[in-house]
Amino acid sequence: MSRKPLSRVLLVEDDPDVQVVASMALSELGGLVVEVCGSAPEALRTAPVFQPDLILMDVMMPGMDGIAALEALRKDPRLAATPVVFMTARAQSHEVARYRELGSLGVITKPFEPESLAETLRGLWEGRDV
Amino acid sequence: MKAPLKTLTDEYVVALREYLEGGGEAPLFRAYQIGRSALGEGLGVLEVAALHQEALVHDLLLLLAPDESPTIAKRASEFFAEALAPFEASRRGFQEATGVLRDLNRQLQLRIEVALKDYQAAQDKLDERRRMEALKDEFISLVNHELRTPLTSIHGALGIINTKLGPELPEEARRLLEIAYRNSRRLARLVDDVLDLQKIESGMVTFEARVQPLRPLLEHAVEANQPYATQLGVTLVLEDAPPDVQVAVDGDRVIQVLTNLLSNAAKFSPSGERVAVSAASGHGCWRIAVTDRGPGIPESFRARVFQRFAQADASTTRPRGGTGLGLSICKAIVERMGGRIGFETEPGHGTTFYFDLPMEGAPGGADASACPESR
Repeated sequence: MSRKPLSRVLLVEDDPDVQVVASMALSELGGLVVEVCGSAPEALRTAPVFQPDLILMDVMMPGMDGIAALEALRKDPRLAATPVVFMTARAQSHEVARYRELGSLGVITKPFEPESLAETLRGLWEGRDV
Repeated sequence: MKAPLKTLTDEYVVALREYLEGGGEAPLFRAYQIGRSALGEGLGVLEVAALHQEALVHDLLLLLAPDESPTIAKRASEFFAEALAPFEASRRGFQEATGVLRDLNRQLQLRIEVALKDYQAAQDKLDERRRMEALKDEFISLVNHELRTPLTSIHGALGIINTKLGPELPEEARRLLEIAYRNSRRLARLVDDVLDLQKIESGMVTFEARVQPLRPLLEHAVEANQPYATQLGVTLVLEDAPPDVQVAVDGDRVIQVLTNLLSNAAKFSPSGERVAVSAASGHGCWRIAVTDRGPGIPESFRARVFQRFAQADASTTRPRGGTGLGLSICKAIVERMGGRIGFETEPGHGTTFYFDLPMEGAPGGADASACPESR
């Protein structure tokens, strides 16, 4: 399973308030190093520099949505192996299944529980196929 | 000369001679028969005229005597007319048939036009309905997103304050924060429930029915809801449930129904009590029942149990923390699966909520009428 513990997370979220809350939940409560991007194109530019262990990304974003961003990430050899976890309004089980098929590591439902957000990501990180 | 034509010519010569010589019905009738044969052979009027000509010039002119010639000429033309009669009849028949066909055609065309118009109208209506449904679908998905985004930051912010600063806050502030945090969670559940109910009732949710054993679904539901029941001092118990029963259902949805029924039952049970889950068969159905030892449902409330936002006593809402939509959702789900939901209650002794699922392989399949009205 995993060799190194989860430490760097790139958060991709268009809503500024959710950005603050989610990044605080991950860093202040969860002890992770977090970088925030407000859009998918920004994330595609930032990720190769920041080199996250995992990307936590909103699905519904204006312009390029999370699904398109995931496809773009998978085409970039530097980022193809970086796990992506989606954040979304509650999805039906077949939608979750579709996100998995597209190659996401997991789905986190909004609103999330701030105390356990980092823990949930760590669980997905530990449980991933390497 | 082709064989049939040769025969016809011979017959024609014989019959014509007979008629020219003596008149009478019989040779005329034969002329008619010859005409019909010619028509049957696919010969035309001109060819019959040629027969006539041939017969006349062949040897009949010999018969001609000057004083008799008008009679003979008259008979020759009568004979010829008779031989052509079948052609005439055929032409008239053809004309009539053409007329009838033309009428039929016109009627058909009219009917097709009407049908096409009806079809187009129905198609337009369907398109309109699809457009409305798509709009509604989009609207709901937007509402879902738009409600959740602020809810996420409210819930997240409160959670972070609660965790990070909670212990340092004065008692009163901590209580208020706790109330706000709990209610943001409740609001999230309410959004879930409203959208869920809307989706199920509008048929937007696809139910993925799969044949599967019933017992593991019940076990799963009991296990998943035990932590919540434990907080209330209630024990969930799986009682009679045959081990090898198969049902054709959407497992997630059955668990959703059971979760609602179990959390209701736990909420209304006195601390220290048990809530029992059981399954039994009857009338082509499996009846799954959740029984509590709570206060029972007051007579005055029974008719409204499955109505949205109906709760027996407004004062029960807050401490028990429901959204008021749980049983409406259960009803919608069970009915979508072709089942039926109901309850039996005895004030002071408890309540049993049950739902019936069509038995796998039972005649009628998803036909709810196969299920009994009550036990």
